[in-house]
Amino acid sequence: MKITVRAFAQFREVVGEVTVLDLPQRSGLPVLFAALASRSDESRGMLFDDQGAIREHVIFMVNRKRVPRSSLDSIILYEGDEVAIYPPVAGG
Amino acid sequence: MLTEREIERYSRQIAFIGEEGQERLKAAHVVLAGAGGLGCPAALYLAVAGLGRLTIIDSDQVEMTNLNRQILHWEQDIGRNKTVSARDKLQAVNPDMVIDDVCEVVTGQNAKALTRQATLIIDALDNFPARYALNLAALVHGIPCIHGAVSGYDGHLTTVIPGETACLQCIFPNPPGGSEFPIIGTTAGIIGLMQAHEAIKFLTGRGTLMKNRLLIWDGRDSSVTFLDLEPDPECTACGNGTQDTGRGGGES
Repeated sequence: MKITVRAFAQFREVVGEVTVLDLPQRSGLPVLFAALASRSDESRGMLFDDQGAIREHVIFMVNRKRVPRSSLDSIILYEGDEVAIYPPVAGG
Repeated sequence: MLTEREIERYSRQIAFIGEEGQERLKAAHVVLAGAGGLGCPAALYLAVAGLGRLTIIDSDQVEMTNLNRQILHWEQDIGRNKTVSARDKLQAVNPDMVIDDVCEVVTGQNAKALTRQATLIIDALDNFPARYALNLAALVHGIPCIHGAVSGYDGHLTTVIPGETACLQCIFPNPPGGSEFPIIGTTAGIIGLMQAHEAIKFLTGRGTLMKNRLLIWDGRDSSVTFLDLEPDPECTACGNGTQDTGRGGGES
């Protein structure tokens, strides 16, 4: 199934603005993250910390709806879903 | 009441917001946390718009490396307190605005006292621990807070209305890492001006606020995207979540 990933801010520089991934049916977000991470070390470093956990500050949205961290493992993706990834900035 | 001089000075915007809108700006007290890349342009435009009172909070002194973006601080100001440097320029551009300068770090200890009198708070800080402390103070007082942040070519903005919108802790429950960030001056200028613009909309009542929306500015292609937000019922700051389980914390 095809899932569209929209990347924002620094993550856009690493994976591109829009990426279409072909994932197995009923994949969850961890499968999508792993697919993105496999594209480059930079991509992996932006999504995962040194312990291999998803970086806590990164914001995820599925079909424009915010996904709380507690639901990261339970959400199932469907053909045509759009996942947005935003690593927020902090400076001023 | 506006003076004749004020009616002339602000005539081009009174034609748009009316004398009532101008009077609201004059009656308002904005507490601006941060006199850096975001705070300088925000303060400058609020000053020339005829804001009545501005409190500027910043504990830093002006450094050479600030000058690419912090437009109220000039070569001559290196080593001076940013609050004093900013106050001098703002007072020169608008002698009628009352300015309080507070040379302090925003913390969980002082944030409530510093913001108690505010009509509106602007979060132009440069780190999340202080931003969380300011967010908590805004929630406690029920005062709206306009949040902005930048790095490189990237920036974002949202307006938090306590009891109505997602708060900063709902949106960003975990702080991004890093302390020193690369920054192009125009990125800070754009987001800082958007914060001032939100303030003018809020204070005059004219326009639609960025409530429950995160505006994401991408300077690579000068594009703007909006993410829809909603309050998190389990938020440790404004919801049912308890502070001790929150990883963000409210202390600086």
